Amino acid sequence: MSDSAPRNMGAGPQLLADALLRTVAGTSASLRVTGTTADTNQSEMGLVATTFASIVLSPVVMRKLRQTFVKGGRANWELLVSATSVQKQINALDLGSAQSLFAMTLAVTVAGQDYLIESIASNEAFGQVYLYRLLLREAEQQAI
Amino acid sequence: MQNAKDSFYMALRTRLASINPERTVLLRGAVRPAILLEEAEAPFSQLPSDVFVLRWLGLGFDAESGLTLDAMECEILYQTCGTQSFGGLDRGRALSAMDKELVALLEPCNTPKLNYTVQPPTALLSQVFWDEPAFSPTTVQRDRLGRSVKIMVYSYQEQGE
Repeated sequence: MSDSAPRNMGAGPQLLADALLRTVAGTSASLRVTGTTADTNQSEMGLVATTFASIVLSPVVMRKLRQTFVKGGRANWELLVSATSVQKQINALDLGSAQSLFAMTLAVTVAGQDYLIESIASNEAFGQVYLYRLLLREAEQQAI
Repeated sequence: MQNAKDSFYMALRTRLASINPERTVLLRGAVRPAILLEEAEAPFSQLPSDVFVLRWLGLGFDAESGLTLDAMECEILYQTCGTQSFGGLDRGRALSAMDKELVALLEPCNTPKLNYTVQPPTALLSQVFWDEPAFSPTTVQRDRLGRSVKIMVYSYQEQGE
């Protein structure tokens, strides 16, 4: 006898991932995204400060990646991000995909430290992403 | 020097918009001609495909004749994976098309120097001019073909610059 009850198979891994992220000291990260700017010459040449918005993702977990030390090199980190929180922000911003959201992200801030996105990967189950993994590098200090 | 860099970029941007209006890029929420200044955008982990990326490298001065001539080396990088409809098998042709576009962008090899820090931009007295481009061999990175082109860009410093 087969179980033919309707159910959303995709939501299970997402809920499980969220629960796991929360239980391993899940925190929040904010993405600094660029606002939609008028296509002006000055904004393309770094003459006009672009407007920024901060988008909070939670739960996330940050872990340092083991690396060989390089003089002057910046540490690399992996940020595990809940896919449900990413989807919520994609809907709120009316974007087409998570790639669009990460493409417009200038920096990721976790605990007051800025990081730059080096690469993006995702984990899927039943055809749905349940976790995004961002490879981050510590950003250089910018002038005030 | 900054005025020359801005004028060079704007000249190429304007020429690209007229040579191939279809070559556009969505960046920071705006659709614009597919040419950008690397130093004025967020850091890229991977340069975007089908876009001309301008990178400023060397710098030199020559003050022999009373006038100071600035010489700046500009590298223009571009790469392509071809088009989806061809499954990327047209990437060689796509790169050739970009080569041809770039040659057209660089002709004529001079443009008026403008000050873009004010709106509307004001014309200065001299011109920005540049050498013949030096094309590097094609680089192959898996399914991505790319090339870089180096150009020396010159301008005379004017009073107040």
